[in-house]
Formats: sequence, C-alpha cells, structure tokens
Amino acid sequence: MKFVPLVWAALWRNRTESVLTLLALSVAFALFGTMIALNAAYERAIDDARMDRLIIACAFDCGAIPLGYREQLARVPHVTAVGGQLWLGGHEQDEQHPITVMFVDEGMRSAWPELPMSPADWRAFDANPSGIFLSREAAARRKVRTGDTVAVNTTFGSNRADGNPTWYFTVLGFMPDPPGWKSGAGTPAWNPDTIVGSLRYWENSAHLDERDIVNVMRVAVDRPEHAREVCREIEARFTNATPALYCVPARADAQEMADANINMRQISLGIGAAGLFMILFLCANGIAESVRERLPEFGVLKAMGYRDSHVALLVILEAAVPTLVAALIGVALAWEVDALIEHLALKGVIDMPEMRTSFAAFGWALAAALLIALVSAVAPLLRIRRMDVAAVITGR
Amino acid sequence: MSGLRQIVAVGLIGIGSLRERYATALVVVVGMACVVGVLTSMLSVTAGLARAYLRPEDAKRAMVWGGRNTFDQSRSLHPDAIGTILEAPGIARDPDGKPLADPEFLMRIPPVEGFVAGSLQLRGVGPAGIELRPAFRIVAGHMFRTGTRELVVGVGAAGKFGLNVGSEVRLRDGTWPIVGVFSCGADILESYLVGDAITVMSARRRAGFAQVIVQLVDAKAYPAFEAWLTGNPALSSVYVERKTDYDLRELGMNTLFFTRMAFVIGAIMALGALFGVVKIMSAAVRARTREIGTLRAIGFGATPVALSVLVEAALLGASGAFIGAAVAWLIFDGREMWVWGAFKLRVSPSLWVLGLVWALVTSLLGGLYPALRAARLAPFEALRAE
Repeated sequence: MKFVPLVWAALWRNRTESVLTLLALSVAFALFGTMIALNAAYERAIDDARMDRLIIACAFDCGAIPLGYREQLARVPHVTAVGGQLWLGGHEQDEQHPITVMFVDEGMRSAWPELPMSPADWRAFDANPSGIFLSREAAARRKVRTGDTVAVNTTFGSNRADGNPTWYFTVLGFMPDPPGWKSGAGTPAWNPDTIVGSLRYWENSAHLDERDIVNVMRVAVDRPEHAREVCREIEARFTNATPALYCVPARADAQEMADANINMRQISLGIGAAGLFMILFLCANGIAESVRERLPEFGVLKAMGYRDSHVALLVILEAAVPTLVAALIGVALAWEVDALIEHLALKGVIDMPEMRTSFAAFGWALAAALLIALVSAVAPLLRIRRMDVAAVITGR
Repeated sequence: MSGLRQIVAVGLIGIGSLRERYATALVVVVGMACVVGVLTSMLSVTAGLARAYLRPEDAKRAMVWGGRNTFDQSRSLHPDAIGTILEAPGIARDPDGKPLADPEFLMRIPPVEGFVAGSLQLRGVGPAGIELRPAFRIVAGHMFRTGTRELVVGVGAAGKFGLNVGSEVRLRDGTWPIVGVFSCGADILESYLVGDAITVMSARRRAGFAQVIVQLVDAKAYPAFEAWLTGNPALSSVYVERKTDYDLRELGMNTLFFTRMAFVIGAIMALGALFGVVKIMSAAVRARTREIGTLRAIGFGATPVALSVLVEAALLGASGAFIGAAVAWLIFDGREMWVWGAFKLRVSPSLWVLGLVWALVTSLLGGLYPALRAARLAPFEALRAE
C-alpha cells in the first residue's frame, strides 16, 4: 500500500499526457475486444451447429426434394427423425420489402429441436395451419402483434391453387431470435428474418404440381459419431434417384461455410494482434519516458534503502495501472463497436454470427494488458538497475 | 527572413532533433504503420474482387434476364426467347455476321469432398461465350468440344479443388471428364468449370438460361436495345441491365460489409493513433520548449513554429503509412484467396494513396493541438523552462 501514493503521483505527473495515453490505449483495447468477440462469434457459430443433425439437399441443380423421401430417409439405420423445410419468397407492400416464410413440417419437432418453438407453438400450428411465428427481431421490424395478418405477394406469378398471387398468414406469436448465424438484409429477392409457417398450409393451398416437395430435409441421428456414416448411406441410397441427394452434418456445413467466405477468424486475429502491437509501443514509450525523466527520483529511493525489487514493483505498477484500466474501458467500449459491426453486416449483404462481448474478452484483455505492462517495464528496469545512484542524484 | 524560409529552417531543426527523440517518434511511425497496414490489407480483398468482377470490356455490354430473377443460377430465360433477343438492335457482330451474344447459366454441382455445396459451379456457355472473353486461354489440355460431355476448369477452381486435366466431375447423368485448364485474365470465370451450355442443359434435364450476355456496338446503343426488348410483345418478361450494373451488384454482395468494416476498423485504429500523436507531439513540444523559446526570441514567428510541429507529425505519419502499406503489399499483394470464387488480393496504387491520406489526416489532426501549444509559448516563459 505504501507504493500507492508514489504510483498515483507518477501517473498524474503530466495530467494531459496521461489522459491521452489512457484514451489511446482504451481505443486500441476496444478494437482488441471487438476482434476477440468477432473471432469468438465465428467459433461459436461452428460449435453451436450439431454433428448429429444432418442437412439433406438436392445433389444436382434441382432445388426441390419430393416429400416422399421422408419415409425412405427414416428407414436409414441410426436416423431418429426427419423433417422437411420449404421457403416461400415474396414481398410485402412493394418489392423493396422482401419477405421469406420458412414452412416446416411436424417432423422438425424432433429433427430440428433447436428451432426455438415450444410444444404450445406446434399445437397452435395444428389448430391454425395458416399461422406464422416471427422471431422478435422480425416482429419488431414489422410492428405486428398476435392476430395481425401478414400478406406475402409472390413476385413471379401465383403458386397458389386458387390463382391468387397473395398468401395471407395470421400471426400466432413470437419466438426468440434463433442463435447462431444472422443473415444480411440482402437482396431484393431475399429477406433473412426468421418467420416460420406450417408446411400443411402449403400442402393445402399450393398448385397441385408444386405440392409434396421441400427445399431441404433435416435429419437427426442417434449419435454424432454416426453422422458421417449415415450421410454416406443416404447419398449411396439416393445416387440413382431423381433427384439424387447430398448430405452434410450441420457442424461440417457451418465449418465449410465459414471457410468458403472471407475468413473472419483469421482476419480478426490479425487485426487484434496489430492492436496489441500499437498498445505495446504506446505503453513501452510511456513508461520509458517516465523513468528517463525521473531517474533522480529513483536514485533517491535507492539511496533511501528501497531494494531493486521495490523499485521494480513501482515501475511495473506504473506501467500496469493505466494499461489495465484501459483494458477494462476498452472492452466495455467494444460492446458498442460490436453492435456497430453487426449493424453494418445486417445492412450489408452478409451472413454473420451474432457477436457478444463476453467475460472471456475481459479476461483476455486483462491478461494481454498485464503481459504488455511487464514487457514494457523490462528496458526501463534494466536502466534503473544499471544507473550510478550517486551520479544520478548529484546530476553528473 | 521570409515566412517560408522560417518554416523550412524551424522544420529542419525539429527534424534534426528527431535523432534524440527517436523512441517517441517511433511510436507514431509504428502506430500509423499498424493503422495503414490493417486498412490496406483489408481493402486489398475489395480491390482484388473488384479486379475479378469489373472488366473494362463490360462498359459496352448488357445482360438480358428472364424477369427479375437476376441471379446466375436462375433458369427463367426460356430457350425459345433467345432468337428474339438476338434480333434486338445495337448488338455487335463478329466477322461472320453472327451476333456477339451468348445465352449462359451457372449451375451448382455436387460439392467436392471437404467443400460446402455451391463452392464449385459450372458455367454453361455457347460459342460466342469465348469470343466475349478475349482473355480466355487454354493453359493445359484442350478446349471442350461442342456437343460432347467434356468440361474445362478455370485455374482458380483447379487450384482450390485440386482438379486437373483427367479429373472427373459427377453430374446428373454420370461423370464428365475435365479436358482442359483455362485462364481468363483474373476474371471470376476462372473459379468455375465451363462446358457447352446446350449439352450441360440436356444433362441436367431442365431447359432455361439465366441470362444472355450481349456485346453492344457501343455504350450509347444501350437505351434503344433495352427499349426494344422491354417493349417487345413476343418477350413476355425480360429484364435488361448494363453489365457494369450487374458487376457492381455482384461485387457489392461480396464486399459491401467487408469494405465498410475495413473503414470502421481503420477509423477506430486511427482514433487510437490520433490520441497517440497528440501525446507524442505534446511531449516533443515540451522537450523542445527552450529551443522554441530561443527561436521565438531571435525573431521566428509563431506560425512557422506551429507549422514545423505539423510538418514533423505529417512526416512521421507518412513514414508509418509507407511502412504499413509496404508490409501489406509484401504479405498480401498477389496472394490467392477464395470468397465464393478465386481472386488475387491486390494492394493497388490507389490503396497506397488512401493509406497515405489516411495517415496524413490523422497525423495532422493529432499534431494540431501540440502545434497550437508551441505557437502560444511565450518566449520569455519558454526560455525559463527547465
């Protein structure tokens, strides 16, 4: 405790420059914290995707899978559930307001239990097949309430049996925003909001020749280690079928998706490292300058009997305090930067995982701050150790 | 002594004393190098993709789509409509008098082991498709023969997916051999397999093109070309756009977020560096207080003193910018990358200039407060400073 007044006085020796250093370090740590959150978001998106969930799509350029495949897929060993998924795209008021409804069938209750819908929600579909559930974000954007009607105008003619180009849905309720990837607001033909409808509505109302098909099937397997084997079996069984099928575990799909796009995990690490490099130089310069200007003061302390370890502690504390404080401020600021980057992603046309600055980011930032303070203090400490106390005190 | 000579003289004194203050000067240089290095590295992705998508020859080109399905994988342009489209006015013709226009499509094929669906795509092109791409060259093997089940692979896709002459690709009706490897002047086409459109279409058992790519006689022919097509009752639903608009749309889809993020990160880093510059230059002014006092006492004006501080900040910032851009160029320029297509990163001359401007603005803003402080130093007080 006896060092506290000394450290405090040293830190405020030049108030303006100390504040500027703190600001510069805080901004650099904000960047570091953001990059940690960005990296973690991409890692988490892959971790969240489960190996025991399989995604089944058309192997070739067809876009639709017969619903009849459901029973055949269910008979493949280790498959525990099969569900179908179909997208209906269109627009609301005008073409500038695209909307996409994702129809799911009952099988998804078991094949895709991660879809955040409760048993009561599924029962509501039974009672009202033309109902939809919106994610909270989707509902907030449209300002809709339970019981409201949402109209989807199909852009390229009608696909309804009655020839009406508009599909009407009743809002049954809301669901949490699904975790994982968020999609960009994107193109005029695609809207990423999560809006879930019942496949029964499509089956009852679509053109006869457009019924009994889905875009994607999801399959649950009993154990993750069976995923690859089941995929191989499915692809083999459907090789000569029309259409043939392609199967990939959801986790492998997420990994490959991340690799196929701009590798944000690598980029975030590179930018974070550049931020730390800036912090290191700023911190090292600050502490070196402070020690250089206060050599007589350290000489007096040593003459008074302060041991080298005490002086070292003083210097390390002087380097560590602003760096640690800046780390805390910076990572707190990173929350805001995360929101800005997410906003940019959603305004742009990119799918990206949800960013959250976690306590781990604080841990990483504090650890980095401490390490940088220690490294920064090395050269000044060597200088103090080598100094001639008498010469420094007498000004020689 | 004139104002300009005073500025030069004070500036030289300041720069001369940098040797004694090299450690602090290094902080500005390294900080700015980090800022510019990160900015130019990130934007090299955008510049590389821009080179892949924006082709100079596209200024005289148009795309005709089947309605608003303006994506390459669409199949909404019926083959029956092609003949009518090729009769439109303003289409350039080859020496044989055939229209320079090619109905094409892009098709997803089953993913190669270890890659996500949609990574590898096949472009169906007609005879005019190669004429429309003057940079197209077969670099190994031979060109696919029209009417046969043969494919050629672009150098980008070949490298990414490990495909070569003799490799086979599974399509709906069996395996198709790759008979050649092509380059196309860093065009995005190098990321695809290419085959004869009609043969591929029959294999996939679904008729329909995505678009017709048209070479116009000149860019001014576009309005009449568009009006003729959109007003033609024989064509129930076509959408026409300039190829350059399509290029920008495709480029925007791939780079909009990343480019914005590069600027946001560059701005955050610049803000940190700006505080650093204020701090370092303030310390420099403090260290040079007596020197500045002496200069003021012998007749140097406040403006030359202030400008010398700004010049010093700008020089340090520019040095950092040069180092940052040079490091980014050494590491990233020409490096292959894949973002749903192969392209080479590019630290272009315009990025060097952008980095320099970015650093200069940051340094000058950062140097402003210390410069004003230096200018306001009263000579007699400065001479008394310890």
